[in-house]
Amino acid sequence: MPASAVLGCGRHLPAQSVTSDELARDLGTSGARLTEATGVARRHRASEGQGPSHLGREASLDALARAGLAASDVDLIVFATMTPDIAFPGSGCFLQHQLGCRTVGALDVRAQCAGFLFALATADRFVRAGAAERVLVVGAEVHSTALDYSPRAAAVTPYFGDGAGAVVLGAAREPGVLAAVLHSDPEGLERFWCEFPASRHYPARMTGEAYRAGRHYYQLDAARVHTQARETLAGVTREVLERAGVPADRVALFLVHYLDARVAHAAAEDARLPRERIVATAEGAGHMAAAGIPIALADALAAGRVQRGDLVCCAAFGAGMSWGGALLRL
Amino acid sequence: MDETVNSRILGLGHNLPERVVTNQDLTRVMDTSDEWIQQRTGILERRFISEDTGGSELGAHAAREALRSAGVAAADLDLIILGSLSPDVDFPGTASFLQRNLGLRGMPVMDVRNQCSGFIYMLAVADKFIRTGGARHVLVVGAEIHSTGIDLSTVGREVAVIFGDGAAAAVLGPETDRRRGILSTHLHSEGRFAEKLMVEAPSSRVRPRVTEDMLDRPGSRLWPRMEGRYVFKHAVTRFPEVIHEALAANGYTVADLDLLIPHQANLRISQLVAMGLELPEEKVFNNIQRYGNTTAASIPIALHEAVQEGRVKPGALVCLAAFGAGFTWGAALMRW
Repeated sequence: MPASAVLGCGRHLPAQSVTSDELARDLGTSGARLTEATGVARRHRASEGQGPSHLGREASLDALARAGLAASDVDLIVFATMTPDIAFPGSGCFLQHQLGCRTVGALDVRAQCAGFLFALATADRFVRAGAAERVLVVGAEVHSTALDYSPRAAAVTPYFGDGAGAVVLGAAREPGVLAAVLHSDPEGLERFWCEFPASRHYPARMTGEAYRAGRHYYQLDAARVHTQARETLAGVTREVLERAGVPADRVALFLVHYLDARVAHAAAEDARLPRERIVATAEGAGHMAAAGIPIALADALAAGRVQRGDLVCCAAFGAGMSWGGALLRL
Repeated sequence: MDETVNSRILGLGHNLPERVVTNQDLTRVMDTSDEWIQQRTGILERRFISEDTGGSELGAHAAREALRSAGVAAADLDLIILGSLSPDVDFPGTASFLQRNLGLRGMPVMDVRNQCSGFIYMLAVADKFIRTGGARHVLVVGAEIHSTGIDLSTVGREVAVIFGDGAAAAVLGPETDRRRGILSTHLHSEGRFAEKLMVEAPSSRVRPRVTEDMLDRPGSRLWPRMEGRYVFKHAVTRFPEVIHEALAANGYTVADLDLLIPHQANLRISQLVAMGLELPEEKVFNNIQRYGNTTAASIPIALHEAVQEGRVKPGALVCLAAFGAGFTWGAALMRW
């Protein structure tokens, strides 16, 4: 059975960035307070007309170039996003066209903040089964068009940023995906969700009443979600290391992916991970859901923080509630 | 222990809302006729929900039936995949609501958003997890509630008459006989035509992505738009192409096929495809007449009915094939 390995990583952040000070006026408070509440001082914002497929295209070209491959070498696209270009078809189809790939499969998966790990585990299975040789795995989000820019969202909106990351996973003799674990638990999922449009709502999936009440915006009960995230991230990190049979001290870098970088760091501390080898994916440019892990991975490689052959442990937690971990050998 | 080489469908279930909407019923809200709808699509009636109901609820009924028929306990599921283009809420995915409706926790759940080809894409994912030992039992559910998002006025009639609500489920498990179960899956996409059949809103490309013009009124960007001519033309090319691809990959020809179950997009497409492949009527299963197009749910509803009607005998070579929005298309070849 062939194994799969990471052949290249890429990322793209839109040029425009928005500071907490710039958000403050709409959110009815000061920039300092927004930064203090969320830990995010600056996030990127896609320009008008740009969807996750456009950001994903840039990240994919970066990843392909680093892998020394062309778009025509890709034989499957797996695209994870919670903010698709349009309601349907999926962003993977748009990416297929924008990259000029052959008419390969474009699988669109939805597992929210943990979406990239679900997409990566799926891609790994296609390669191992011999059903694909080179899979482009993309996580991309444009949150900025979905957010509530009014004072009631002051504790939610500043968390989120736009961006995309991509990994080319390919058949290899030496396995690069050493272990992947995925979980979901729907208990309390309304603590972090966006309700409308809601197809389940009879007779129409969007109503004036829901619109006026702002039920088409993200709702977040941060205190309770943070508590669950902290426990779960520590647990899933231990689980994935155990599954791979690798002790924490052999891991070059831990990517801890959660909405709030401070909670991610606390979880890493709970798991007794070495402080100097932790990256909380949200600490640079906010939470980018499915895009956070591949962006952090590409950044760490580009900065020389990790090299080929190093072990990287990823953990993610988010809406659903869904979470996962993956141990990679680069 | 024998080595898993394939995956196989162990059980099936489906569930449809009780409310039947006939073509005659539609003539009361839009300018259309039973004859016009039948001539163009072959559809006689479809099902619509009549109160708040999510795809996750129809899907849970279907899943319980599939689990019973498979003899698999819900708690033994290692992975749950739900395909839909009409999700219960914006996020999280409908699979999370399905997991809750089934009283489950712990195993991963994810949504696959591949429109009419959703079931084929989900089967491919489930199959790869099982073949490689990443999961033993996988629940795959296609579930759609179209009726809350279509324009039932005369303006929207060309699209609205086609779609129906419904859900179906399949439980997959390991198979040690390489001649049995899912033999191969084949996935394709061509995003050049993404806008030929789409629902635009909410669109994260548009700032802000939800606006008042989306509300339930004429011209809503929440309603599907379709250039039927394009879809039809590409469907009748891509269906036979991918069916041949699946057969050839396993050393078969159309003559070896016992049953083709095409995605139920339009009876006229199915008939043209069958004619082009020179498949006799008894080797193609269609039930769009009664349910309309239920996108991700259509193939498993049809497969389940075909099995119930004795149209799928043990050992039969069955091809499932789909084409739809994206464009995406695909096929799965299985030995029952």
